Amino acid sequence: MRSEPSRRIQPEDVCEAEWAEWYRLTPAQRWQESQKLWATYLALGGSLDSEPDTQSPFFDAREWRAGLAHGRSGLRVLRRGGV
Amino acid sequence: MGGQACVFYGAAEFSRDTDFAILAETENLARLQNALDELQAIRIAVPPFEQDFLRRGHAVHFRCAHPEAAGLRVDVMSVMRGVDDFPLLWERRTTVESEGESYDLLSLPDLVRAKKTQRDKDWPMIRRLIEAHYFEFSEQASATHVEFWLRELRTPLLLTEIVALHPIRAQALRSERRVLDALLGHADDHMLENALREEEQQEREADRIYWQPLKSELEGLRRQTPRRDVNAR
Repeated sequence: MRSEPSRRIQPEDVCEAEWAEWYRLTPAQRWQESQKLWATYLALGGSLDSEPDTQSPFFDAREWRAGLAHGRSGLRVLRRGGV
Repeated sequence: MGGQACVFYGAAEFSRDTDFAILAETENLARLQNALDELQAIRIAVPPFEQDFLRRGHAVHFRCAHPEAAGLRVDVMSVMRGVDDFPLLWERRTTVESEGESYDLLSLPDLVRAKKTQRDKDWPMIRRLIEAHYFEFSEQASATHVEFWLRELRTPLLLTEIVALHPIRAQALRSERRVLDALLGHADDHMLENALREEEQQEREADRIYWQPLKSELEGLRRQTPRRDVNAR
């Protein structure tokens, strides 16, 4: 067994700064941030129709093809720089 | 039980479907059907929305047509592999309130168990969920917290820390988790990573095996059911 640690591990020790910041929010704050993200996504015309989850045991290719004809158009990438 | 629960507990998932774990009893299903009717939800795949299918572990899938929820997927389940029966889930639930509405979420341990599937995306999520919980409570950890982390943490550095801080408790659980056995047996980082990977592979395989008969049943239902009959209650 390893010896007792002299300094407690901090979020930055196991993840990137953005994640560490997210971890430091309270559950209520994370919920609020998520609601803001949703509002932005919908304001930009994002669709509520979810992406196909091909690894799900429920996945049915027929159903997803049918689904694409419904609902609003999804978010489209108009320009993408870099790679 | 899906994306919003993950957000609440500390992971982040931009999930556009809504997953419900429900009690599959006649009266409850009737109430849910009323709510689905309000959302103008149409069932989009087999199996039918029936108690028997839900009780045997199937999920029922809907898509909403109400203008305020157009295209939203709703998935309903009652039984999940490795997860306790609904009454226990309900007893352990977390209730949150937002803008005058209350939401009941799976408890974190139940959510973690439900996420142990064959899908790639669930495993980083599990790791994040437990990391967030660890950092939230590590300064005032209860015995229940410590046991949860010893059983479920998937971050090598944090596992090493919790085992070092609670060696007696870790020793008591050693026979129940190979990862703890590796740590207590002076495993190096590589061996610890391998033990974690092996644990994940075992769960994913168990999930595949669990779903085999259910998937065969779904295939049979798809063959029997013309498309026009799927989009019904």
